[in-house]
Amino acid sequence: MKGKIAIVGIGEVPTGRYPERSGIQCAIEAVRLAIKDTGINKDRIDTVIPTAALCSPQFNTDLVTGRVCEELGLHVRNNVQLFAGGATSAIMLKVAAGLIATGVSEYILFLHTDKLGTDVSPQAGIDLFATAGISREWEMAYGMHYSAVAGLITQRYMHETGTTPEQMAAVCVSNRKWAELNPNAMFRKPLTIEEVLASKVLSTPLHAKESNMLADGGAAFIVTSAERAREVTERPVFLLGEGSRVTHYALSQEPDLSRFGWAVAAKEAFEAAGLSPSDMDLAELYDSYPVFQLVALEELGLTRRGEAGAFVRAGHTWPGGKLPMTTNGGMLSQGHTGAGGGIAILVEAARQLMNKAGERQVPGARFAVETATGGTYVDAHVTILGTEIP
Amino acid sequence: MPDKPVPPVQPWSEPFWAGAREKRLMLQKCASCNKYIFYPRLGCPFCFSERLDWTEASGHGTVYSYTVVKNNPPSSFAGDVPFVIAIVELEEGVRMMTNIVDCDPEAVCCDMPVEVTFEPLTDKITLPKFKPLAKEGTGNA
Repeated sequence: MKGKIAIVGIGEVPTGRYPERSGIQCAIEAVRLAIKDTGINKDRIDTVIPTAALCSPQFNTDLVTGRVCEELGLHVRNNVQLFAGGATSAIMLKVAAGLIATGVSEYILFLHTDKLGTDVSPQAGIDLFATAGISREWEMAYGMHYSAVAGLITQRYMHETGTTPEQMAAVCVSNRKWAELNPNAMFRKPLTIEEVLASKVLSTPLHAKESNMLADGGAAFIVTSAERAREVTERPVFLLGEGSRVTHYALSQEPDLSRFGWAVAAKEAFEAAGLSPSDMDLAELYDSYPVFQLVALEELGLTRRGEAGAFVRAGHTWPGGKLPMTTNGGMLSQGHTGAGGGIAILVEAARQLMNKAGERQVPGARFAVETATGGTYVDAHVTILGTEIP
Repeated sequence: MPDKPVPPVQPWSEPFWAGAREKRLMLQKCASCNKYIFYPRLGCPFCFSERLDWTEASGHGTVYSYTVVKNNPPSSFAGDVPFVIAIVELEEGVRMMTNIVDCDPEAVCCDMPVEVTFEPLTDKITLPKFKPLAKEGTGNA
């Protein structure tokens, strides 16, 4: 898989609450941006792969049945939905590799759009997600929901590693410092550790400002073979390696709440790429809650076990730090658009490597590691991307 | 407030719920590889055998992790805060999601010893929950 496919264009509309902008508008605008960014004729796209929109089953069916193709005049061979929750971004690249290597597709357009910020009320959002990946038979009757998922994981992680509340809050501050530089982010006002810890407790030890916010948004990216990529852009973003594991369905069945499957997934990915954690210029780590960035920093080998909190607190992941992390602000600051939360992180990794990240550009970034996970963190996907094939 | 979610009963999980109604915590045990299994399965997830027996668990375990829900729960639990959701590891080695009850939520901690207790939800469904393990040796000889 190493160096066989590349991302050649990206598009994104701002994430936040935009009641006047429909889901299909988000999709169309994001796709138009991605096609323009790629600089190819729209007719070269032969496969369109939208992921699921959670805001409305009817709108989701629009995406399944080819509305985006028709609205944009894309005369494609395939339109098919691909959905693995928050892990969708990583799985899109693996599916792209298969379709392109076998010649089924030449240019694949991936897209996401959702309206979780304005078409779903905050309480309905909590109730909707409390049915998503939480076992009706063995968990739901105990009041399980996503703040409790994060609370259970954060509690055990802090118990085992000695990570402090201040260190956990520092992750939110790190993400916010990047979002301050991101015009597409929902939350851009500076944030302090004290403000995070003063926000109300949702499910111990999780504070409200350690929780993501559901939002509207849309993003798209275009993937093709490495050969074609070199023809259309001087700076393709090559897929260099991937690794993954599915470790549970019901959260109670996860063998290790402070580690999950990240270590073995990372080993596979780095070996496939022929690179090591110290080669990474960027760590585009899936957040949704701060504990996941700390677990990923440690399990991917970017810091040692138990040291990620102090690493973030020291500012090493902030703008100007030695390991820029989640540079769009993540779901904690850019906003959580369902499957789009992870796609926004992948698009950001590509944006940085393409040298198109504006004020928050990490100078000279060549290699990035990206993580993605879905449901109650049922799977661990590690993806290595780069502007060259080592 | 909407009704609480009621777990659906599968044909192969019925013995678990029948046991819970009688205040017995029932686990499957594989007759081929001797491993305990939770949650109930049609076949053993370890060795794929279909020879599964039912056995009563001791009802003792420890808290693997927990969270005290204080704000923004699902609608049907709005009247219950604060309450404790926990993953308990039973002596038999399996883990289950549950609530910790009959104690101050702030007193719960990781690795705390607990024992099972039962709370009826409907006529058919009784939920196994856990409470701090009663200290031994406090009774009169």
